[in-house]
Amino acid sequence: MLIFSPKGIGAILSVAVAALTQPCAAQEQAKTTVTFLTAERPDTFAPAIAQFERQHKNIHIEYQQVPFDNLSAQVAARIGSGDKDLDLYAVDVPRVTELASKSYLAPLEDERAKLENIAGDKAIQAVSYQGKIYAYPLWTSTQIMYFNRDLLNAAHIPFPSADPARRLTWQQLVGQAQQAQQAGAPWGFSFEQVDRYYQLLSLYISYGAGSGLKGNDALTADLTSGGWQQVSDWYRSLYIKHIAPRGVTPEQTPDLFGDGKVAFFVGGPWNIGRFNKVASLHYGVAPMPYFAGGSPSTPTDSWAVGINPHSAHAREAKLFAEFISIDPEGSYSTVINNPLPPVNNVAFKRYIGNLSTMDSKIGPISSIVSYELAHTAVSRPCTKGYVIFETIIDRAFSDIRNGADSKQTLERAQLRLNRSFARIK
Amino acid sequence: MNQKWVQLFIFLGPALLCVAVLRLWPAVLAIHESLMDPISGKYGLSNYLYILTDPEFIASLKVTLLFSIIVNPLQIAIALALALLTNAALPLIGLWRTLILLPVAIPQSVSAVVWGVGLRPDGPVNGLLNALGIASQPFVTSPDQALASIILIVSWVGVGYWMTFLVAGLQDIPQALYDAIEIDGANAWQKFRYVTLPQLRRPLTFVLVANTVANFLVFAPVQILTKGGPQDSTNLIMEEIYTQAFSFGDPSSAYASTVILMILVIAIVGLQFKLMQKGGVR
Repeated sequence: MLIFSPKGIGAILSVAVAALTQPCAAQEQAKTTVTFLTAERPDTFAPAIAQFERQHKNIHIEYQQVPFDNLSAQVAARIGSGDKDLDLYAVDVPRVTELASKSYLAPLEDERAKLENIAGDKAIQAVSYQGKIYAYPLWTSTQIMYFNRDLLNAAHIPFPSADPARRLTWQQLVGQAQQAQQAGAPWGFSFEQVDRYYQLLSLYISYGAGSGLKGNDALTADLTSGGWQQVSDWYRSLYIKHIAPRGVTPEQTPDLFGDGKVAFFVGGPWNIGRFNKVASLHYGVAPMPYFAGGSPSTPTDSWAVGINPHSAHAREAKLFAEFISIDPEGSYSTVINNPLPPVNNVAFKRYIGNLSTMDSKIGPISSIVSYELAHTAVSRPCTKGYVIFETIIDRAFSDIRNGADSKQTLERAQLRLNRSFARIK
Repeated sequence: MNQKWVQLFIFLGPALLCVAVLRLWPAVLAIHESLMDPISGKYGLSNYLYILTDPEFIASLKVTLLFSIIVNPLQIAIALALALLTNAALPLIGLWRTLILLPVAIPQSVSAVVWGVGLRPDGPVNGLLNALGIASQPFVTSPDQALASIILIVSWVGVGYWMTFLVAGLQDIPQALYDAIEIDGANAWQKFRYVTLPQLRRPLTFVLVANTVANFLVFAPVQILTKGGPQDSTNLIMEEIYTQAFSFGDPSSAYASTVILMILVIAIVGLQFKLMQKGGVR
C-alpha cells in the first residue's frame, strides 16, 4: 500500500529526480580523485588545493588528516596491504630511508632535474635513499625561543638578545625561568614538542653527546654515554623542579604560552600566526639556547610528500605534488596558513620577506630563522630503523619527564632498540 | 528433513558466513603468519621464541592480567550496584538511567581526550581535589597511578553499558519469588543472596564474559593518553601488538602476540563459563 500513499508518491518523485540529475552526477564522477594523507590541519593545504583544483578542473584532491602519532601506522597499514586508493602522503624526512627500503614510496628519479632547479643539495639528499629521490621536499624547519614580555618585565629579567652570537645558555635560561616563576609566572619554560626526538636531539648535539645512534647503517643504539645521561638528567630536572609542566601534550603546549602562562617557550615559527591572534599576549623572539661549553644546535627538516607505489592515480598525484613542491606559487600557498620555511628557493625568499614584516613587533624573526637554517641546523639520522628508534626514544623521554631514573630508562631503551634492530638488520 | 536443512541454512547461513569470514579466517591467517619466520620464510616457532623472551612483551602480559583482575570485578560490581539502584522505585528513574548510560554514547577515544585534560597535573580534577583540601595527584604521569586512571576512564564508559543488561535481567525476575521469600521472613540481604543473584546468573554470565573480552581489547585510552607508559605501567597487550605491528614494522611478532592473546582470552572465558555453570545454569 505504501506505494500509493503520499509518502510513496514522494519516493517515486525523488527517484525520478535522481534519475534526471544522473548525468550531472556522472560528470562529477568523471573527475579523478587524488587522496592525500597528512597530519596537517586542513587549512594548511586548503589554499594550495583550491588553486590546484582551479587549474586542473578534472582533478579533485581528497584531503585526509590523521594525528601525527598515527601517520606511520596508517601508512604501514594501508600501503603495506596494497591500498590503491591512497595516492600521496606526507613523509617526515628522516623516515624516507625506512619507507623507501620497504617499497612504500614510488621512485621519483625522473623528477631530479626539476627538483634540483628549486632546492639545494641538502634538501634533495634528505629525500633520497641509495642516491635516488623518493619524495618531493616541501618545507624545512627550525625552532626559536619565544618569551613573554609581561612576565619577564614583572620579574625584572632583561629580554634575551636576538643576536645568535649572544644567545642564552640553557643554564642561564633555567635561572631566569625560575626567577620569572618567583614573580608570578605559572611556568618558567616549556618545549613545544615535549618528549619528541625532533626537538630534543638538538640538546644532545649541543652538549656533544651524539645522535643516540651509531654504525654505518645507524642501527646500533648509543644511549648510555655520560653525555646522554647528563642531558637527560637536565631534561628531567626541568619537571622535577616544576619549571616546566608535566602531563601536557605537544598539541597543548602552544596554548599555554598563548594564554600567558609560560615565560620562555621553545617552538616552531608556525606558532606566530596563532600567537598574533591573542591580543593580550606581548611576546618577542630570540635564538634557541645552547649548553655552555657546547655548540649552538637547532632542530631542522620537515615534511615532504611521497607517492604510493600502488596508487591508481599516480600521474595526477604527481601533478599535485609538483604543484606544492616545484611550482613557486603552489609551494608558497602551503605556508600561508602554516609559516614554515619552504624548501622551494623562490617561495623561501617570499616567505622570509613576509616574515620580516613581523620584525618590528616581535624581533628579527626573519634573520634568526635564516641564520639557524644556515648555521646551526642538525638533521636527524637517516636509518631503516628510524620509526623504531623514534618510538622507543620518545617513550624514554616521556618516562624521564615523568620522573623515571635517566640511567635506567636509557639502558632499557638501548636494550629494546638493539633487540628490535636485530629483526631488521 | 531436507527442507529443514534448507531452512536452517537460510536463517543461519549469513551469520555463519560472517563468523567464518570476519572471525575464523583472520584467526587462521594470524596463526599461519605467526608461524612464518620473517627472514627465512620457513615454518617454525621463531616468532614465539622471540616474543616469549622479550621482557617488554612479558611485562605487557603481566600488566594486562593485573588490569583484567581489577577492572572486570570492579566494573561488574558497580554495574550491578547501579542496576539494583536504578531498578528501585526512585523518583526520576528514567533520568538517572539516562545519565549513567550517557557516557556509552561517547567514543572511548573522545572520552580519553577529555579525561586526559581533566586528569592533567594542573587540570580540573586536581583543582577539585585541592578545593577539598587534598594534594594534587599525578594521575597518568605516574607509574603508580596511570593504570588506575585508565581503569577509571574505561569504567566511566563501561559500567553504564553493562548496567543495562543487568537492569533487563532484574526486570525479568518474577515478583512471586520475592513475595515467597518475604513470607519466609527474609531480610534485604537474603532476598538479594537467594533470589536476585541466582536469577541474574544468565545475564551476569553474559556480562562477565563480554566485559572480560572487551577489557582485553582496551586500546584507545592507552594509545591516546599514555602510549603504554609511564615506564610501561599501562602497556596493555593491544598497545604492545599495535607497537610491534605498526611502529616497529614487525608484523610477525604482532601475529604471534595476537595468537597468544586469543589463547589467553579463550582460556579465561572457558574458565568463566565453567565456574558460572557450577551453579546449575545450562
